[in-house]
Amino acid sequence: MPSAKDIVRKFTELKTLPHVAIKVTRLVNDDRSTMQDFEEIIKLDPVLVTRLLRLVNSPYFGLSQKVESISKAVVFAGMRQLRNLVAVEALRGMFKGNNDEFSAQKLWLHSATVAILSGMIAKRIFGKDGEDVFLAGIIHDIGLIVENQVAGEQLREACKAFRDGNGPLVECERNAIGADHAEVGYLLAKDWGLPQEVLSSIKAHHLGKQVKSVSSTGSILQLAEFMAGKMQYWPIAGPLEPLPPELTEHVKEKMADYKIIIRDLPGEMAKAKELYESDE
Amino acid sequence: MTEPTFDTIFDDLVDANAELVSFLASLDALLPEASMLLVSEAGVLIEGASPLAVSLPVRDKLVREARAADGFVIGKADSGARCHAIHLAKLPAVLIISCPAAQGDDRKSEAAITSLLRNTLELALYRQEREMLVADHEQSVRQINILQQQHGKLIEDNYRQYRLNQEREKEYARKLESEITKQTAELREANARLEEISRLKSDFLANMSHELRTPMNAIIGFSELLAETALAEEQRDYAKTISKSATSLLTLINDILDLAKIEAGKLELERLPFDLAEVLDNVVAMFTIPAKEKGVVVSCTIDSRIPKRIMGDGNRLRQVLVNLAGNAMKFTEKGTVDVRVSYECEAAGRIVGRFSVHDSGIGIPADRVEAIFEKFTQADGSTTRKYGGTGLGLAICLQLVELMGGHLAVESELGKGSTFYFEIPLEEAPAEIISLQEHKEACREKAAAGGRILLVEDNAVNQRLASILITREGYEVDVASDGAEALEHLQHQTFDLVLMDVQMPNMDGMEATRRIRKIEADPALRQNYVGLRALNQPLAIIGLTAHARQEDERACYEAGMNGFLTKPIVKAKLTTILGEMMPRTCPENHDPS
Repeated sequence: MPSAKDIVRKFTELKTLPHVAIKVTRLVNDDRSTMQDFEEIIKLDPVLVTRLLRLVNSPYFGLSQKVESISKAVVFAGMRQLRNLVAVEALRGMFKGNNDEFSAQKLWLHSATVAILSGMIAKRIFGKDGEDVFLAGIIHDIGLIVENQVAGEQLREACKAFRDGNGPLVECERNAIGADHAEVGYLLAKDWGLPQEVLSSIKAHHLGKQVKSVSSTGSILQLAEFMAGKMQYWPIAGPLEPLPPELTEHVKEKMADYKIIIRDLPGEMAKAKELYESDE
Repeated sequence: MTEPTFDTIFDDLVDANAELVSFLASLDALLPEASMLLVSEAGVLIEGASPLAVSLPVRDKLVREARAADGFVIGKADSGARCHAIHLAKLPAVLIISCPAAQGDDRKSEAAITSLLRNTLELALYRQEREMLVADHEQSVRQINILQQQHGKLIEDNYRQYRLNQEREKEYARKLESEITKQTAELREANARLEEISRLKSDFLANMSHELRTPMNAIIGFSELLAETALAEEQRDYAKTISKSATSLLTLINDILDLAKIEAGKLELERLPFDLAEVLDNVVAMFTIPAKEKGVVVSCTIDSRIPKRIMGDGNRLRQVLVNLAGNAMKFTEKGTVDVRVSYECEAAGRIVGRFSVHDSGIGIPADRVEAIFEKFTQADGSTTRKYGGTGLGLAICLQLVELMGGHLAVESELGKGSTFYFEIPLEEAPAEIISLQEHKEACREKAAAGGRILLVEDNAVNQRLASILITREGYEVDVASDGAEALEHLQHQTFDLVLMDVQMPNMDGMEATRRIRKIEADPALRQNYVGLRALNQPLAIIGLTAHARQEDERACYEAGMNGFLTKPIVKAKLTTILGEMMPRTCPENHDPS
């Protein structure tokens, strides 16, 4: 059976991450990069330029003047928001195709919901910058896309086994494919050069136990994953994994907060759809 | 898909009655004396801090009535106390409450009590909503804080970017500076290289001059000698043709070397007194014979206001005039060639003279006037064949006149003739400087042939040629093939004059001359040299070199030579210089004993 590395290698032979995504991520990680460096890369991709300008001119930024230059837009959006924009753009193209057992499009909706929920939890409950968790949310299930591409038949087998109640999805995957999507996704994101916190949260999002503190990216991702699953934003039918007890306890304490988040989610999703929506 | 709610998502951890319990707790806190209980829609009983005892039938009745009624219904608890029941749609549940204060019977107090109860209930309900509002508010505050942080970060980022840009700019400036330094160094190096090349070119020029003149020396000399031997008419004609061609080749070589020198900026004009009339006579004299042959009249006039003796380079002035007159002769079949020096003006204490050479020749088309001053060009491409010449003459004249501070120009009419003219400042020579040439001429007049000459020359052909020329002048000649040999000769024999070639193997002419002068200065050494011991004045040494450059001449004098003769040896010049330099022919130099 192939290892997670083999699967990732096979995948990258078929598809490569857009150059822009990797370059922008590298720039975000580099302390010495400047907005001009970002501009140099972004301006080569007209789709990104359109999205960036749309993002900066959205009510979210509430700027009094319309931003029309790329460099200004880059400054206002900030490096990490820009990186997320590029990541969404890069990943969107990969989440395509449908079949009975596995729908990539549904997975995209799931990923987007998890990303938005993660961002909301991070910002509204923990008062921290939501960009990294958003990225973790959007990319956390990329492993499934990779497996679907490289070992579609086996993935469908795993999905079926999972639906039939033969244990957690990751276990079914390991049985059918030889690796699970958390591990595969982790390796791919590592190649991409994403931050460590994001990498470990991808790796651990099906562990069933809380990795670090409640406010860690991993915990937030698990919470968002659970909530999105309950909302049926989940492409693979089957039993949901329960929340780790620490997180259940946390939700009990912050019930009012989570009620508000659930109340506001449709609005946030509409906003995100407007910002990130494809023009196709 | 229906809109998900908290309860559907967190169904496992939500206690369905948690809200009811919390409401009851709020109400308990507001009305600590009252006893109460809640009955949920599902019929679950939740009791307050002080439970109200109501029998099940009574309770069921009250719940039923309350659900149907719009407001309070009144009943009796087991204790007999009055109690109120109301359906709270918001929760939803039925509350049964008994307050000790609400036991009055009259209608008035009943109304007050129900209104009081109603308000208290509202308050308890709003407490719950308030909890949500507080959470909502807190979330908003957190989000605002994040935005503030982001704003701060934005400013921080901008500052960082600003610093980075500044650093980059500095780095760029540094790079630029080092680049400039590097390029300057490269340019300096290139410049040094060019100077070196220029020096090498100059050296090459000097060597070429030597290499070219040495064989020319032999060709001209021997062809002249050949012509003087007993020959058939045809043979003599051949010999003369060789001589003539060689002479014109030498002129060409000299022209090319002159032009190269001028272009290399190596040509310097002399500043010596000379007789202007003599220069002009000289020029005219050169063309007298060919003019007669052609039937052209050559004339020469000098304005009386022009000083007789001028400071400057007479030889170069002659060269210019010879060139211009030569051209005039070449292109004039009949008529006149007039060389004229006229007074133009006087400015800043200097007289400006106008030199003109007028001819009645073929003239130059107006559109070719500029071209004739170019190198290797004549007015008409076809004239080259007809009239011969290299077209270098005018180019050289142009440059020489410019060096003299003037500008060579031409006025010409096709078929009528041309006038080449230039104006140059003429500085009168101070009276006290007695020209060396004049002095020499004085000597020459008294010259008489005879004497012993030591010829130092390494080239066998030149040895023979010079020996023949010298012998013909009526002198005895002895030959040494280098400087060392010359010194040896001087140890054993006496000579009146030494003709010393400059470039020789072993010991060159410069070194030999320096040694001779050193020996002369040392009485002890002098005794060993028969040739020097007997002399009362320094031995006359004439340098002989193919290097025609002025610096070569200067070097000869610096080494201690008395005279200088360029190769190829021109018979006339040899005669003159030997006449001048033979010691006993000049009265001043004559041994008084």
